[in-house]
Amino acid sequence: MKTEHILQLPSMPLQSPSFPRGPYRFTHREYLVVQYRSCADAIRHALPEPLEPDGDVVAVQWLDLPDGTGLGGYSAAAQVIPCRYKGEACNFISQMYLDNTSPLQAGREIWGYPMKYGQADLHVEGDTLTGTLVYAGQRVATGTMTFKHEAVKIDPREQGEHIGRTQITLKLIPDVDGRPAVAQLVAINFTDVVVHGAWAGKAALELIPHVNAPLADVPVLQVVGGLHLKTDMTLPYGRVLHDYLDKA
Amino acid sequence: MNVDEILKLPSMPAASPSYPMGPYRFINREYMIITYETCKDALRHAVPEPLEPNPDGHVLYEWIKMPDSSGFGDYTESGVVIPCLYKGEPINFTAQMYLDDEPPISGGREVWGFPKKYAHPKLEVVADTLTGTLEYAGQMVAMGTMAFKHRESEGGIEAMAKAMTKTQCNLKLIPDVDGTPKIAQLVAYNLTNITIKGSWVGDARLHLIPHVNAPVADLPVKKIVGGKHFLGDITLPHGRVLHDYLK
Repeated sequence: MKTEHILQLPSMPLQSPSFPRGPYRFTHREYLVVQYRSCADAIRHALPEPLEPDGDVVAVQWLDLPDGTGLGGYSAAAQVIPCRYKGEACNFISQMYLDNTSPLQAGREIWGYPMKYGQADLHVEGDTLTGTLVYAGQRVATGTMTFKHEAVKIDPREQGEHIGRTQITLKLIPDVDGRPAVAQLVAINFTDVVVHGAWAGKAALELIPHVNAPLADVPVLQVVGGLHLKTDMTLPYGRVLHDYLDKA
Repeated sequence: MNVDEILKLPSMPAASPSYPMGPYRFINREYMIITYETCKDALRHAVPEPLEPNPDGHVLYEWIKMPDSSGFGDYTESGVVIPCLYKGEPINFTAQMYLDDEPPISGGREVWGFPKKYAHPKLEVVADTLTGTLEYAGQMVAMGTMAFKHRESEGGIEAMAKAMTKTQCNLKLIPDVDGTPKIAQLVAYNLTNITIKGSWVGDARLHLIPHVNAPVADLPVKKIVGGKHFLGDITLPHGRVLHDYLK
């Protein structure tokens, strides 16, 4: 295979790239967002500088992603920490677990999404919207929410703070000798967001300590509430906000 | 978290890195490698320049069971290795790899550019047969069988330990945040601290099934050359850049 063809490959392996080029369109993307108050020290510790904490309410989300172009169907769970970058309110994605390595490798290698392999599940069971996460055979998170108790209006221009805010990830890629080759804060903004429905309600959340899926390191002090969203959206490429390897 | 702490992280996520810093030590790593002859056009297509495929059209299809891998855990791997020449020197190019554990997938891709995907390989002894299988997305894509410990390999464990020091390489591709290539390199490495505990050869058969996302059958089996089965401890160190496509 010639160099010009090699440089056109979207990803490894050469014979069947793990993911194609973006952008990636998600249809029927459903969220369960449980917001909770945590401790300020844990939040500060989880945020890479120069990001600053923005309050003490963080979120654990479950996502059902049945149709992601180029990526397939899968489920994910994430921990999201509101923060400020140069005064702008953003969301730092600190941990993410999913059961499909095509988006897992795309997420890590393009944007630096902090993705690991875990079995997340979001479904309606009886009267309860239920999110679960299993890592290496052990339950590490359970979120529950009342089902469509209170429809809420989401301004399509604002798109709601959970979808509309700039997302920030910490992209780390080692060089072949183990030293950092890429160390950047990457910013991502979803585009072409359609909200099919949004509901608020009571929620409960349990996080169980696990060394390799440490959601419980940002502990639940008090649950604020739940949000249930059905959307379509596009995940475009990102932009570098901050490069830790640039010598100022 | 400050810059010094960030730059010391071995990998993402900062909250619990997928893999630690290397080197990585593997204890009781068990291999079954079936060597076969394939179609030379297909082979040329699977090898990135400036590597040249071996003139015999040989391919190594392998299963590796890794019960104790420092930093990575317990997992099994299966894949395709193509003997090549780089500037006239023999080198093994890893073309496809499938495994059932995310940290070595992420670490393999991000450090050395191993072409790793998630799948379910298995290597086991079933009655009299050393048996390797590979399932991708619920479908069987490879099945290899070998006679169990029929003959010791020529030269015994010393010769096998020496053979394992052969230089190996991968095509490392990492996109930038805008999708353009950020890293496009051939990365070479050599296994170290090799102790082989047993090494056998024997008859083997290999069946490869076409699958779009695990295209092991794109290098079709024309003729089986033979099977190798061995067990040992090895260390996988960091790598070195052999060729940079962006320079």
